[in-house]
Amino acid sequence: MNAYINTYELLCNAGDTKSLMEAVYSKESALVIDNSYIEDATAGLGKMDYEDIFSVMDEVTAKVLEASNLENFHKTLLILGSSVGGMQECEQIFYNENSFKNIDPDRYSMNALSDHLMKTFHFYDTRALSTACTSSANALLLAKRLIEVEAYDNVLVMGVDGLCYSTVLGFYALSVLADKKCTPFDTHRNGMNVAEAVAALLVQNVKGSDAIELKGVGASSDAYHMTNPDPEAGGAIASMRDAIADAGLEIEDIDYVNAHGTATIANDKVESLAIEKIFGKNVYVSSTKAITGHTLGAAGAVEAIVSCEVLKHAMIPPQTGLEELENKNINVPIQSIKMNVQNIISNSFAFGGNNTSIVFGV
Amino acid sequence: MKLYIKNYSSYRSDLEDIDIKQVLKQKYKLDTRRQDDFIHLALYGAQLLKEKTVIHADDELYVTSAYGDVDVVQRTNTYVNKEKQPVKLFDFINLLGNTTSYYVARSLNISGKNIFQISDNFTYINSLISLYASIKNSQKDAILCAIDLVSTPDEVSKRVLGVKEDIEIVSGVNYQKFSLDAKDAIAEVEFDIKTYSLDEVNTMLKKENRTVLSSIRCMKLQCSKESKFFETLASYALNSAMKKNEDMIYIDCFEEKYKILKLKSLK
Repeated sequence: MNAYINTYELLCNAGDTKSLMEAVYSKESALVIDNSYIEDATAGLGKMDYEDIFSVMDEVTAKVLEASNLENFHKTLLILGSSVGGMQECEQIFYNENSFKNIDPDRYSMNALSDHLMKTFHFYDTRALSTACTSSANALLLAKRLIEVEAYDNVLVMGVDGLCYSTVLGFYALSVLADKKCTPFDTHRNGMNVAEAVAALLVQNVKGSDAIELKGVGASSDAYHMTNPDPEAGGAIASMRDAIADAGLEIEDIDYVNAHGTATIANDKVESLAIEKIFGKNVYVSSTKAITGHTLGAAGAVEAIVSCEVLKHAMIPPQTGLEELENKNINVPIQSIKMNVQNIISNSFAFGGNNTSIVFGV
Repeated sequence: MKLYIKNYSSYRSDLEDIDIKQVLKQKYKLDTRRQDDFIHLALYGAQLLKEKTVIHADDELYVTSAYGDVDVVQRTNTYVNKEKQPVKLFDFINLLGNTTSYYVARSLNISGKNIFQISDNFTYINSLISLYASIKNSQKDAILCAIDLVSTPDEVSKRVLGVKEDIEIVSGVNYQKFSLDAKDAIAEVEFDIKTYSLDEVNTMLKKENRTVLSSIRCMKLQCSKESKFFETLASYALNSAMKKNEDMIYIDCFEEKYKILKLKSLK
């Protein structure tokens, strides 16, 4: 049983899907330099304007339902990936009241987001995955597997993370947070930008008129180090090779790598090495985090939507912010390239060597 | 959907009072620094499983929990918002779901895929479904860690779980190693995605002669219930039945919907 992405939508710092792709192709970063999260320091962040993350989820979910072939989600499984769940609201209440007393348990925990959507849209069932920055990529992986075993016909995959102090200050404590807009794959990059987004993709066992196929998924755990990837790139190579094999494709069938590309020193160095070892310069590579920032648990879903859009636009996105490419053995374009794009691989890598790669195609 | 269980391990805080961190350090020679009690509990269960079964490097790993590590969330919030301190590096790292998976994978020397699934509805059964779908494709074995750690005091845990104040909740970690292959299996477990109504469950139970156990969430169901609670109790119930070589049915409930696990002992 094949899995198809028949409709999708997102909201991020660059706006909705259409606005995001315009920003991607015109190389207009939507990142801002912020001084409200860290005392005496600035940080590049991807910020949205909203009342609360729950209402943003409702809006995006309703749009996907409206564009779908479904009347409701009563026979649809929801799989939501998030790194911190309801932490944002929990922090705000605690910040105002210095107490946990008034925190609503239904809006607090990791699965608070999926529980909320369950109550609003009455899904058949829900799963909440939390594997940090691979959360919604793993949600897509699981969706494909569940459709393959015919457990479900329809799976709504969501990636959701709202900006919160814990993540911004946590990455700052790790010394990987950039004080300016991030520059993936650049020799002089100085770290990542924490960001927020809500992204939703409806994965189904039937092919719609405008469908993108979720062709292959691969995952590995190198468990090399808690925060650093295996310097030999073993985990990243394994997840990409597994995804390509799962798709029934050869390496030369891949046209574009939508990289994890966080712009941290460690990630970009190791991911570049993995791409170099598998593809050499025979595939285009870029990271759209230079536009969106790193939306953490939402990143897999956001970049899945970007990948679907790249297939539909038949245009490889350029690398925003790149001045001097560090690894000269990979092919990172600085201008958009119009071409017949058949297959894309999108990478998501997380702490603890948790690696997931997904192949999308037409 | 059917899976075979190759072996299991169990620990419940109300049945054994041990200093887990000391056991990890002294008996298993593990480095326990920079880790929280939640991770220690997961590691302890993993070591117990490792003593009983062969772990392969490409085994997949699933960790499932009702609410994860509440203590580290509260501690981080207290530092940041109340004491105006920076986030402590290892609190931030321990906050993330896959940190536990990382330490477990490392202690078991496995490099297969790992997933941290979290939920307060059908936590264990839904994780089994995910695991089954994955290994049907990979044809590998998978390890499932079901873990719940009660926060101190237990008020927050109870509020998140939505259980009454007078219910005693306990910490527990239960592992099984699953396979699609029946060879050397000690039990088989059957489950599916279907949810049942109370009437459907009652009708089913009338024809049932196996031991039936249910979660205390199944308030309207007339059958044996554990007096104490943790969300992943289903995993403990399976292990307990396997220990006694018993067949068993376990029923869980969430918002008037029921799901069923059927265990058949093969010993």
